[in-house]
Amino acid sequence: MDTMSLLMQGFAVALTPESIMFAVIGAILGTLIGALPGLGPANGVAILIPLAFSLGLSPTSSLILLTSVYAGAMYGGRISSILLNIPGDEPAMMTCLDGYPMALKGKAAEALAISAIASFIGSFIATIGLVILAPILAKFALRFGPSEYFALFALAFATLGGITGKNQFKTLMAAAIGLMIATVGIDISTGVQRFTFNTLELFEGVDFIIAIVGLFAISELLFFLERHAGDGLKQVAINKLKLSAKDIIKVLPASFRGAVLGFVAGVLPGAGASLGSFISYTLEKRVSDKGEFGKGDPRGVAAPEAGNNGAASGALVPMLTLGVPGSGTTAVLLAMLISLNISPGPMLFQQNADLVWGVIAAMFIGNLVLLLLNIPMVGIFVKLLSIPPKYLMPIVTLVASVGIYSVSHSALDLYFMVGFGVAGYIFRKVDIPLVPIILGMLLGPEMEKSLRHALVLSDGDWSVLFNSGLSIGLWTVAILGLVLPIIVGPIVRAKMKKSKESVKDA
Amino acid sequence: MRINDRVFGMLMLILAVAYGWEATQFPIPFGGHESVGPETFPIMLSIILGISSIYMIVRPDPDEAWAPVPMLLELSVVVLSMLAFAWAIEPIGFMPAAALVVSFLSWRMGASIAKSLITGVTSSVVIFFLFNNVLELALPLGLLEF
Repeated sequence: MDTMSLLMQGFAVALTPESIMFAVIGAILGTLIGALPGLGPANGVAILIPLAFSLGLSPTSSLILLTSVYAGAMYGGRISSILLNIPGDEPAMMTCLDGYPMALKGKAAEALAISAIASFIGSFIATIGLVILAPILAKFALRFGPSEYFALFALAFATLGGITGKNQFKTLMAAAIGLMIATVGIDISTGVQRFTFNTLELFEGVDFIIAIVGLFAISELLFFLERHAGDGLKQVAINKLKLSAKDIIKVLPASFRGAVLGFVAGVLPGAGASLGSFISYTLEKRVSDKGEFGKGDPRGVAAPEAGNNGAASGALVPMLTLGVPGSGTTAVLLAMLISLNISPGPMLFQQNADLVWGVIAAMFIGNLVLLLLNIPMVGIFVKLLSIPPKYLMPIVTLVASVGIYSVSHSALDLYFMVGFGVAGYIFRKVDIPLVPIILGMLLGPEMEKSLRHALVLSDGDWSVLFNSGLSIGLWTVAILGLVLPIIVGPIVRAKMKKSKESVKDA
Repeated sequence: MRINDRVFGMLMLILAVAYGWEATQFPIPFGGHESVGPETFPIMLSIILGISSIYMIVRPDPDEAWAPVPMLLELSVVVLSMLAFAWAIEPIGFMPAAALVVSFLSWRMGASIAKSLITGVTSSVVIFFLFNNVLELALPLGLLEF
């Protein structure tokens, strides 16, 4: 089969010593980033982009490094869920439900090991899914014309809030703000200056990497200060690992089910990893009702963890094949691709086949590394987790600024970064989501270009945007994605809250 | 209280109008009008932002509490310290500037003065050598250059 031989070529790229080294470094960094509370995957990847960029790494190496960080962060998120009862990132929330009770019962090591195995299964199955689905979708997407692309971008924004989104208008507003920032600079196709106010620094537009680091990392620092969270939290002591093959076999079915559900949730627009782990957990609870869910059932650890990792890999499918990311972290990975001058989308699989397949193969290897790393070395990560944020956050901020500074050696970029940090703090205070802003900055130029192409081809007739079955379908999904959460959202959120509270009462 | 959303929505409405108006003022590009000019997309955006800010003003969400005034002042001082770091990185040099800002931040986050100084100095020296010598990204030496 064609895919098989391409994948084998990918392994040839991924098995070079250099690639393996970057996969290992990425896996370690990623686990750390995921484990530290307040340093979610999007944040961590954002800080590393300017570094990878200014180090002059090749596109393949940078992507391998950052996808391993991404995968590692998904593994790491579970450590603080289990030991601190605080999810390292949002999708790890469901792991708290059974992971923390297990740790309280003195089974922290088992919970960590089981979740590592489940994470591995989740990512592994989802990566296989990616191998099968991505080329098909990419081939299909070749039929997209500019008006379909315009509809697709609209769909991406409309579904970004997700089924659990609170206020759709705020998502819309955030997207508009991001797209507006993207219009600053010299217009590519006409050469007209837009919103530059004749400032030389604005001619090239606003660099989205600076915006990402500012919005995520700097605003997080401000929130830490405000909450007086500098001392860190008390964690449960870790015991000696006693895990038999029987225990592992017992959680395998749960992991497989979770992995498949998670993958599907990751691929679908608007679902995302949080929903992936939530569905996996609730389904597992229903399928095997004899267990002690919420009181430390191992299957309650395995299912959401497999779901969350499956969704993480699934989310790469739309990002790679259509150039439309479905989550914050994949948006940041898209930023990486764009700044390396690689345009994602269906052509990626034809023009940069060795890169794509190299990265996919690296995901398999990174996963294996993560599994091997996470079982024996979990103690080291746990130790690092106990470094209080009051020492760590300033250093992270410093590393972030160094990265930004070294891209173009300009202090002005740092002022911009701090400015975006303050803006991010205010946005978060009024509940404006940050991810649509980033996505707007990333997709803005492409979105405007497809609008232009579509209307030039139709000679200014706006109905061209809705004249093919495909684009009408995309618009329908977009509108559903915008309207459904207003109806369904409160119900799903109430259910998530209920299952969380029922655990607290127990 | 539902003040936050109202005020923010108002600000965004002003932005939407100003942005949209500015877009209509673009000079006509060389080669004359096209069906989609440089102003078409921005005008669409200003309409979307306008609609969503009006919704925010009319149906605001409950407020998330703002920090008390002393905390807001402290946050402003922290922001100023980062701006000062950005300014100082070239004339004064990376190491002294970074040592100062990291110590200050970690002291404000609750570390004792001695410990925050140790954190600041070690991290800035380690990062400087890591970047300059291992990763070969030149950071300015500033005053230490002789």
